[in-house]
Amino acid sequence: MMSEAETAFSIRGLDLWYGKSQALKSVTADLPARSVTALIGPSGCGKSTFLRTLNRMNDLVGGVRIEGSVLYDGVDVLSPSTDVIDLRKRVGMVFQKPNPFPMSLYDNIAYGPRVHGVKDKARLDDVVESSLVRAALFDEVKDRLHESALGLSGGQQQRLCIARVLAVEPEVVLMDEPTSALDPISTAKIEALLDELKRDYTIVIVTHNMQQAGRVSDRTAFFLLGELVEYAATKELFFNPADERTENYISGRFG
Amino acid sequence: MRNGAKRSQAVAFGAIRFLSVLTIVILGLILGFILFKGLRYSSVERGTVLAMAEREPDGFVVVVNAGRDMETASWDELYGMFSDEYINWAKLDGGADDLLPVAVDPASEDGAAVEAFLFGSEDAGGYPLWGGLVRFAPTAAEALAIVASTPGAVCVVAADSVVAADGVVPSAAAAGAGGVKTLGIRRLAVAINSDVSDFVGDSYLEDLSDDDLEGLFSGRIRNWAELGGPDLAVAPLAPPEGGALAAAWERAGLSGSGGGSADSGAEGMAAYLSGLYDTSGAVGPAFALDASLAGIPTAWLTRRVSGWNLTPRFILEAPRLSGKTGGISSIILNTLFMVLLTMAMAAPIGVAAAVYLVEYARDGRVLALLRLGTETLAGIPSIIFGLFGFLFFVDVLGFGFGLLSGSLTLTLMILPTIVRSAEEALKAVPRSMREGSLALGATKLQTIGRVVVPAAMPGIATGVILAMGRAVGETAALIFTMGSDYQLADGLFSSARSLSTHVYLLFAEGVSFDKAFATATVLVVVVLGINLAAKRVISSMSRSGAARQGNA
Repeated sequence: MMSEAETAFSIRGLDLWYGKSQALKSVTADLPARSVTALIGPSGCGKSTFLRTLNRMNDLVGGVRIEGSVLYDGVDVLSPSTDVIDLRKRVGMVFQKPNPFPMSLYDNIAYGPRVHGVKDKARLDDVVESSLVRAALFDEVKDRLHESALGLSGGQQQRLCIARVLAVEPEVVLMDEPTSALDPISTAKIEALLDELKRDYTIVIVTHNMQQAGRVSDRTAFFLLGELVEYAATKELFFNPADERTENYISGRFG
Repeated sequence: MRNGAKRSQAVAFGAIRFLSVLTIVILGLILGFILFKGLRYSSVERGTVLAMAEREPDGFVVVVNAGRDMETASWDELYGMFSDEYINWAKLDGGADDLLPVAVDPASEDGAAVEAFLFGSEDAGGYPLWGGLVRFAPTAAEALAIVASTPGAVCVVAADSVVAADGVVPSAAAAGAGGVKTLGIRRLAVAINSDVSDFVGDSYLEDLSDDDLEGLFSGRIRNWAELGGPDLAVAPLAPPEGGALAAAWERAGLSGSGGGSADSGAEGMAAYLSGLYDTSGAVGPAFALDASLAGIPTAWLTRRVSGWNLTPRFILEAPRLSGKTGGISSIILNTLFMVLLTMAMAAPIGVAAAVYLVEYARDGRVLALLRLGTETLAGIPSIIFGLFGFLFFVDVLGFGFGLLSGSLTLTLMILPTIVRSAEEALKAVPRSMREGSLALGATKLQTIGRVVVPAAMPGIATGVILAMGRAVGETAALIFTMGSDYQLADGLFSSARSLSTHVYLLFAEGVSFDKAFATATVLVVVVLGINLAAKRVISSMSRSGAARQGNA
């Protein structure tokens, strides 16, 4: 299944239960580094759950039981002895709804470096600026860095959240339907941004929008009822699906 | 069908509008009533002399230091000043100074005249009852000098001696020239024959209002029974024409029937007084001293007086005589200390407890028990907290009645409120905010301290401010724990009185109804101020959560 690219995540036989209901069924996949992997599938198919397993955000939900293995860069992500703080620093996450903190733009972006111990003001200034530049937001907000982040538009807020993640210098950025709450123009900006970001970062993106998956991703995984039905290069999956269920889904027969 | 729905909607809308307007009207009534009663006093004054004041009774003037807050004195007050009934000015003008009555030495001619004026001449049966406080000065000029230099001094001198001494004309003295001013003296009383004033069976003459007096002297009231007295015909007598009494009576505006005897000399006066003494049912004007020397009772008079209740002085001065006079400055400060102390204890503990309950405690029996506990505590009457505080803080821990015991009790009382509101505020912080922080690799403690609590700050602050309002307004929990000393507290263990306790005590002990309302007004304004300040703080907080983070 794996192509020539270097592997970021290596997932083997991943099972996950919320209480008694099984949300992931024996998922096995290798996610390549420095490329965009899209996760698609109908609501409740387990794609978000799968994403949140990659940086252990599922820890926050009660009653979760996980079996199988997830290796990231040789580290066993699921092991209780894994340093979750360090893992999340390396594997950042952008959420479905923009969630800026109720503080200034500057403080939002400096938040990550600050909690990791950076106090030097000049360095923080640098990080804030470069993160905003990489998130393609700097020009729009450079004059109001010290105003509340809640005053930004939805699209700007989402790019701010991306900048906030980039500020802690992660290797992977997980995105959970990052454009589902945004207008088409903002969505286009973020999609363009993804193209830039994949040169330096491994990106895993959950999306409801198959056109989006087609536009932005290199590889696509199709989930259905907790099962990884098909995982292939995006073009192949869209134009020549191996599984009938995939074909039905992408041709709009359900979902 | 559609019309019916429309109509019921209109009815519901009208009801809602009516109720909200009603609520506003009720609120306005309450606030308006308290403010009105607090700002203006209007009470019934009771005394034996009429309101009319004389500047130069019988050619004498009563001189006080120009700084006194008093314009007129009744004859009883003047008499009391020189016979040791008063030792300070608290009951006279509400001031704090000691009283120093000054008189010219009675051995001198001037002094003898003053003595006769104050206590009555020996011929008329007077007897000099100088009090021990009185200081005698050799001359009127020296007496005036003492008054000018002593805030609490008062003296009686012949009017012409004031002019003679230092050129101060009495009326000009009122303007502050020479550091002294004159007091008007109210001495005109209504003398009644003792047959009228005595108990007859179960009937007794009521206090006489201005209206009653007018009726008595105009002939409208013909029988004392109309005023609750015995069944006797009213016999109004007029004072001898041309004398000082007739002049005063004229000015009082009651000399309706007119036509007294023409003899204004001593004999005519004596005849008039014996007429009052002898004639059953007689009533007529008389100077208080003359009436008492002649053994004629004087009627109790009532009149309505009003004026400013809440003055700057009231706020800036310390209370005296249990708050009957003076202001409430020390009580305002004590309240401030109490609130600061309480909030310093309750706010950190309450917020910490809420953080624990929301962020750390696992749902289960202990948590349910804790929640039940805080909810129950929030509903317990504050007097119960007072009893507990008395037993535990005052008695068992031995803190005694004081600021500390009171504040600790208040802390226990308002903790549930703070915990509950902070809990709600923390719960209202969206989970996405917490996830956002955790996903950046922040620890749980960092997330709580840097994101969750700041985001919940407006809500937490609201709860804390509301609790503060409750603390300011609390009375029952403080009566048993903080004591009731109205002086400024001088330490944690010092007994102190808060504004609301002051209102309660002024009212419950019947000290002063007017001062209670004035204090209540201050209390209302303080609470209003706290709420407005809180609103501003909160709105500025939620506008930019930025300032706190110490950016740039």
